[in-house]
Amino acid sequence: MSSDGCGAPAGGVAIPAGVGDQAVVQGHVTRGGSAVRTGYARLLNDGGDFVAEVPLGADGGFRFFAAPGTWTVRVLAPGGVSVDRSVTADIGQVSAVEVSV
Amino acid sequence: MSRSDVLVDADWVDAHKNDPGVVLVEVDEDTTAYDTGHIPGAIKIDWKKDLQDPVRRDFVDRAGFEALLSERGISNDDTVILYGGNNNWFAAYAYWYFRLYGHRGVKLLDGGRKKWELDSRELVKEVPDRPRTAYHATEQDSALRAFRDEVVSAIGQLNLVDVRSPDEFAGRLLAPAHLPQEQAQRGGHIPTAKNVPWSKAANDDGTFRSDGELTTLYRDQAGLDFSRDTIAYCRIGERSAHTWFVLHELLDQPNVKNYDGSWTEYGSLVGVPIELGDGQ
Repeated sequence: MSSDGCGAPAGGVAIPAGVGDQAVVQGHVTRGGSAVRTGYARLLNDGGDFVAEVPLGADGGFRFFAAPGTWTVRVLAPGGVSVDRSVTADIGQVSAVEVSV
Repeated sequence: MSRSDVLVDADWVDAHKNDPGVVLVEVDEDTTAYDTGHIPGAIKIDWKKDLQDPVRRDFVDRAGFEALLSERGISNDDTVILYGGNNNWFAAYAYWYFRLYGHRGVKLLDGGRKKWELDSRELVKEVPDRPRTAYHATEQDSALRAFRDEVVSAIGQLNLVDVRSPDEFAGRLLAPAHLPQEQAQRGGHIPTAKNVPWSKAANDDGTFRSDGELTTLYRDQAGLDFSRDTIAYCRIGERSAHTWFVLHELLDQPNVKNYDGSWTEYGSLVGVPIELGDGQ
């Protein structure tokens, strides 16, 4: 990813050439087994502070590039839905978070 | 300046979106979202293609801005309502940019695209056809934009507000966590900067917090001296445009600049001081 933008595409940025030195947190949001396409995933640090947000992708997916540690994924969706999930990230790993709302 | 001078809500947009003299503009770095559905009547501005110089690291000059607005059918007298994704970051950047080039009738849609979507309001694919105009911009207002030398001079002298996340401020991350982490720059922050993440100025749905909450956040909790001038920065200048909007437009602070070179410039400068670690 170049440094000329900060935008968050729906679903998150693709993982560049393998996980490498990234600490990836990713997952999907579903309702009754179907993908939730309208909504947002937010990443909060262990102090509860906001770190990042992406719109959900067409498959309900989201992806973050975090640092080692414990994080919270907060999913927002229409109808006032707000669901939190805790996740641990580490360098070179993909930590999966599947969220049903 | 009151909130109603610079912000509108979704109900206002629904009531006025077809008024002559009102132009809705969706602004984003990735305009895929606009193409799949946007607020009825809205045109789009691509933050990268339309607002950035294609060669130098800078935004388009006065003539480029005039050409862009003329081509999109925006007149000097129009009231431009900006909104976008990423919690209005790029819309706030465009707002700052409209102000830099002297456009007075410009407002943000509070909550931007996110709140519109979360409220399940109508999105359409139809692209409006606006007749060409002859837009005239003023010279850039240098009171609103900070460059690297004045940022270095401001250390310990002015309020420096680093609006990135606590992890970027401390040097643990080099980019927002929705992006792969970079290796090119040094991590950390400008010495004496206060860390007030842009996100603390917004609710989860992307709307701005109340003036009282914002004053408490910046003055009482972060310790900004409201009698001093302020420079806000982030990584490339759009999150700090959001904070510039809060301090300059909502809280009416007179001397606030956005440093759009931000950390991708400062963190790559040779010889400038850098501080690591968490904020106070």
